Amino acid sequence: MSTILKKCFNLAKTVRTATITSLLTAPKQQWQALSAAASQTPHAQMMHTSPMRHGLMEFFDDPKHWSENDIKVGRAWRTDELRIKSNKELHQLWFILLKERNMLLTMEHECNDKMEIFPSPERIDKVKISMDNLEKVVRERNTAYHLLETGETGERPQKRVNNAFGLQVNYKSCEHVLPPFMNLKWIKSRNIGFGGRAVNRFLLKYREQLYNAKRKAKNRSRNEVMMILRRNPNFDLEVLRRKFPDVDIDKLRSADKARGHYVPKVGV
Amino acid sequence: MSSRWYPIYQRGNPQLRVFLPNFWMKLVRPEEAQPPNVVTFSVSTEMTIHDVRSYLEKIYKLPVIDVRTRIALGETRRDQTYGYVTKKDDVKYAYVTLPKTEEFTFPELFEKKAEIKEKEEKSMDESKNGFRKFLDRNKKRPGTPGWYSI
Repeated sequence: MSTILKKCFNLAKTVRTATITSLLTAPKQQWQALSAAASQTPHAQMMHTSPMRHGLMEFFDDPKHWSENDIKVGRAWRTDELRIKSNKELHQLWFILLKERNMLLTMEHECNDKMEIFPSPERIDKVKISMDNLEKVVRERNTAYHLLETGETGERPQKRVNNAFGLQVNYKSCEHVLPPFMNLKWIKSRNIGFGGRAVNRFLLKYREQLYNAKRKAKNRSRNEVMMILRRNPNFDLEVLRRKFPDVDIDKLRSADKARGHYVPKVGV
Repeated sequence: MSSRWYPIYQRGNPQLRVFLPNFWMKLVRPEEAQPPNVVTFSVSTEMTIHDVRSYLEKIYKLPVIDVRTRIALGETRRDQTYGYVTKKDDVKYAYVTLPKTEEFTFPELFEKKAEIKEKEEKSMDESKNGFRKFLDRNKKRPGTPGWYSI
């Protein structure tokens, strides 16, 4: 694990519930993060912060929301907002979102059990969107760091390999306890050749299918162009060329099928 | 991404660390009666006992004495019309023992629900009655607006 990430991990131990409550609200109330220090100022009176809850009650929603039919919440975090946050803040926010998701899942489960309607289920989606965005931002930073330090992206290595049917699949590498030259099982599992009469026959037919699909698509667009030209002799050829880039329109104009049931104007 | 993977166990330090853990935990109502210091969780299937323990201790700051897990097999059901079999997902349950001094009873979330519903129905009935009265009053003079009468 890179040093930055390690550092972040250590910093994450400093997560406090005070920041949790403030960060959880919509980003427009970001100044609430400073509320702990500014509680004596007159602005503090206008501020609303939910009380801290400890222990197992963190798995449940605020008791005043228990019998509500509709709970008003803010929107999800956007990538642009997350990009200006430090690694530490992102790490804290991740755990806040994690707790929020656990709470929502618990409430949803209990509601389903008791045959009640779960109020505002879009909250789960909002948390999910926030988490996805956060992950995206962290990933961007990770890639940038890896590219700077090692020249590689640091993403999971992938490559195209042929499977037993001779089809190309994406192989994602993963961690192993043993190095490759010692890992006989892995070597055997990677040794997938393809061949034999059945596979060759399958590949022949499969490729024929692909070829036919391509051929039919080509004929279809060609016929379409001819029909358009037949019905509309003064059609804008530029538009046609743009819409059907693969069709040779100049050649088709003189085609027999593209001629309509009218006397062509000659010499006009 | 490398930092989001669950790394395989290697002997020695540093131990298993996940930068952004993706595990979820649900606190569920126990099916059987449990001692007051035992809490039932439904957790991600890939979580181990150590994961559950460190999750609760580090993220929720809970004192954990013991964790036991089991995987409950998801229900299978045969479709009535077509006969194919469907299966629900397996669920991992974690039974977490807290210190003897701790007590937890699963809260009743919908105690007040009936009261509120009754109140709502009452107000609905009142408005229905009001509207009915209004209709009765204006029965003999159709077409007149609502503000016409005293």
